[in-house]
Amino acid sequence: MTRIVEVPVSFDDRSFDQFAKSMGQPGNGRLLFDAHANKWASPYGLVNLLAAGQAAAEHGERPLLTIPDDRDVAHYWARAGFFELAGQWFEVHGRPPRVTLTHSSDVLLEITPVRGTDDVHGVVNHIQDRASAILSGELGLRATATLGFAMALSEACQNIVEHAGTSGWVAVQSYTWRRRLGRRVVVIAVADAGVGFRRSLEGTQASRYGDRWSDATALEAALFQGASRYRDPGRGQGLQGISRYVSRWSGKLSVRSGAARIAVVPAWDDDVPLTDGLPPFPGSQVLMIIPAQTAG
Amino acid sequence: MRRIDLKTILQHTVSSLYGDLVTRPTGQKVRNGVERELASLDGEQVVVIDFGTVRCLDISCADEIVGRILLDHGHARTIVLQGVDTSHCDAIEQVLERHQIAVVARDRTGRIRVLGPVQETARRAFGELTRRGAAAPEELAARLEVSPDVARRALAELLARRLVRACHDGAVAVSAP
Repeated sequence: MTRIVEVPVSFDDRSFDQFAKSMGQPGNGRLLFDAHANKWASPYGLVNLLAAGQAAAEHGERPLLTIPDDRDVAHYWARAGFFELAGQWFEVHGRPPRVTLTHSSDVLLEITPVRGTDDVHGVVNHIQDRASAILSGELGLRATATLGFAMALSEACQNIVEHAGTSGWVAVQSYTWRRRLGRRVVVIAVADAGVGFRRSLEGTQASRYGDRWSDATALEAALFQGASRYRDPGRGQGLQGISRYVSRWSGKLSVRSGAARIAVVPAWDDDVPLTDGLPPFPGSQVLMIIPAQTAG
Repeated sequence: MRRIDLKTILQHTVSSLYGDLVTRPTGQKVRNGVERELASLDGEQVVVIDFGTVRCLDISCADEIVGRILLDHGHARTIVLQGVDTSHCDAIEQVLERHQIAVVARDRTGRIRVLGPVQETARRAFGELTRRGAAAPEELAARLEVSPDVARRALAELLARRLVRACHDGAVAVSAP
């Protein structure tokens, strides 16, 4: 018996909870991730689809995936590097377009696996070569902001290496948000299907919170107090560094783990700072959005 | 004065392919490399840690290479950072704030300043010593328009943190060449 998990028509951070809810419905059987109706997927959607595939595969039979019917959409998924990685976790149905990864201007970093330190070095090196023109030219950030961008990316990727207990993925893309913001943005999405913040921090933090310990308090501890699973006082600064960086550029940071999401919300966004009781999802999902800077 | 080039250490201890100081394990290896060099120096030598050829510095590496080294060696040795740019400073300042420590840094234009949390009067005193040379507490008090006691406390803080050195004329700012 097969259970269908619908991939939203527009699959991004806003529709992700709907996807998580669909995946978490009770029921047995092999999962079929149905993306045939998908018309658009953000980097956040795509890396989390891989995380969903990994989580499903590790808990049962390798899930099925139907690719988008729309060839332009499927082509974009291919250019973003999705299909190159999907085969590990999905039995893919449909014929993915064959594309050569030609480093298009909008996909600043194709979906890239993050398994260890070398991968983080590779990502940081790559993004500095590719993103500086976009960040300073199209987004109007100062040239030095490119290095801060790489720093934030490095810290987000290290969260996977150090805390997930498994590998994960990162993707970076630039595009114009006509309806949501009316400006060009760079989006960084990082996801894994690992243990999540609550379990990662449990050993050092849970006793301080007692009955209040949850996905939400774990995220608060990590983002606002710099809590770490290590007792070394120098640990746990990464998320705070990311938060400082995105705040400086009026950007958004959102971290979802388990059933909670915490966010640094800029004036242009209507998200809430902390949400609990969301449909549970494995691992953690980090989203950073840096918008083009407005004059003045 | 002994200059330690971080990129050289990075390429010797981690990989000749890398130009960025990122990830905690990389920071630990580079810190070990710096500490091996420190072990070969006498305690009076000022050590200049050169970031001039480093591209990206993340917080994990800043914590290992600046935070941990200052915590473990800063009480006994004067350390100056050189060639730091704005993005390096972002990572370094966060680490210094976390550990409540401070260090002298010279940026790529040659400007010298204190990074990290210090009292405002101490920061101004450091600026005066950098701009106008050595001064005794009384002279510094006049330059800063504060009482001699306030100037003495500011100098005591700077001396305790090894951000200035005592000299015949009072105190002089520590700086890289």
